Parts: sequence; C-alpha cells; structure tokens
Amino acid sequence: MANKNEFIITREFNASQKLMFEVWTNPVHLEKWWGPIGMKMGITKLELKPEGTFHYSMKTPDGHEMWGKFVYREIIAPEKIVFVSSFSDAKEGITRHPMSDKWPLEVLSTIVFTEKNGKTTLTMTGTPINASDEEVKMFVEGFAAMNQGWAGTIAQLENYLATLS
Amino acid sequence: MRRDVFQAIADPTRRAIINLVAHKTLNLNSVADHFQQSRPAISKHIKILTECGLVTIKQQGRERYCEAKLEKLNEVEHWVEQYKQFWETKLDALESYLNELQAPQLRKISKSKKSIRIVSSKIKKHGKQK
Repeated sequence: MANKNEFIITREFNASQKLMFEVWTNPVHLEKWWGPIGMKMGITKLELKPEGTFHYSMKTPDGHEMWGKFVYREIIAPEKIVFVSSFSDAKEGITRHPMSDKWPLEVLSTIVFTEKNGKTTLTMTGTPINASDEEVKMFVEGFAAMNQGWAGTIAQLENYLATLS
Repeated sequence: MRRDVFQAIADPTRRAIINLVAHKTLNLNSVADHFQQSRPAISKHIKILTECGLVTIKQQGRERYCEAKLEKLNEVEHWVEQYKQFWETKLDALESYLNELQAPQLRKISKSKKSIRIVSSKIKKHGKQK
C-alpha cells in the first residue's frame, strides 16, 4: 500500500507502455533524455537485472564531470522498474549530492507505467533508504508538510504578518 | 550539534508550536498549556526551535515570550521544491524526447491517411461517371 509520506509524481505521456519501458531501459534512449539539460551524458554501464548497475557520467560545458548510478531491485517489463539511485564517483562509489549535503544518499525509486487508450501514465514514488533516522525524517516530514499544504499555510501567514508590520 | 530548519519541522509537536506562535507571540507557559506533554518536554522543543532559528525568546519583565521567525521556513520549501523540480525536469525531457521519437511515425500515418482520401475521392469520381 502506498505510504502517505512518500514523494509521488505522476504524468501522462503520449506513448505506449512498451515504448515507455524501452526509453527507460535502453542506453541508446536513456542517453538522450536522462542527463541534465546542457550536460553531456555518457553511459559507463547498464546491467538491466536485479542487483545490476546503471552507471553514468554527466559533463558540464566547462569540463566538470559528475557521476550518478542506479542499482536495480526489480524489473518487470514493460510495467515496473525499481531501483536505488544515488550520486556517484568514477568508480561507482556512492557520494553526496554535489550541491547539497542534505540530500539523502540513496533514494529508492519505483517507476510504474500504466497504459490506457494509447497513453501511458508514469507514477514515480521516491523514499530515502539506508539513511539515518534523522535524514529520513527530514525527507518524509518535508514532503508531508508540503502535501498537507502546511508550507502554503505558513507562506500565507508570512504574507499576512508582512502586512501587519 | 549543528541544527537546521529541517530538524525543526521533523517533529509534529514542534510544527504545532510554530503554528501556535506564528499566530501570536506567547509566553512559555501559555505555549506549554496547549500540549499534553510535560513542561520540560515542551521547553526542550522550544529550545530546539530557537537553535534552528525558527523561534526567538524575548524577555519582557518576568515573562519569557516565544516569537516565530518564519523567514527560515523558506529553506524547507526550497529543499522540497528542489526534489520536485529534479523530477519535473526529467519528465519534461522524457516528454519531448518521446515526441521527437514518435514524430516521424505520425507523419507516416498522416501521409497514408492522405493517400486513402485520394483513393476514396477517385472512387467517388469513378462512381459519378458510372
């Protein structure tokens, strides 16, 4: 059952489930869209099987290189992919987010594709794993707060307080 | 120990305290009165909130008042927003790539539809002639 505290994002795509699975798992396709905009993406390894690794590099225009990796947990073609994603180094080690020391080290992501009337809905669920209790709490409560609209409430309060002072 | 705003909101009691003092500056006892937990427990939460920079304590006469410093909360929204942004960007890229991939196929389909139309108009003409 879905955990209320997980991060969930869904979107409908104008593509078949088969094609969606293909662009998520074939390196030829992944290279074209997974890398951040403006960075050259290179795929060092893609082993599409449980415990297999997807290791890739991202190069900024000024030559700075970063790495990322997935370790697959479950692959059910063409409907589901479960993997643990993290930032990485050249040797497939796990590293912190290059720009943030608060980002959880490893995030368990579940991608599900469901096709209806020729369109496919992607549902991505993310939750941190192997994180300290505190890291998990920060992540989970952060999203819980967002989902409950608490952040929005506070923003409204902030505006209101600004008019008072 | 280094504290930040994420630790402040990680606890439901602390979130409730922030909401409470965001509406109105309250003295420590009035804050504690709103909760079933013991005063020392509430004091500890308030201490963490002050360490995170979300609450300041002001001494007024014999009373100590809690005041919310909400600017700090932007940090949270920014961080939550970052993760959401990350996925939105990925899905945007995926969407345009899929469109690109399927564009030639669509052209083929519309071409073949055209040729079907031509054929059918020929048939109509042919029928009229008869």
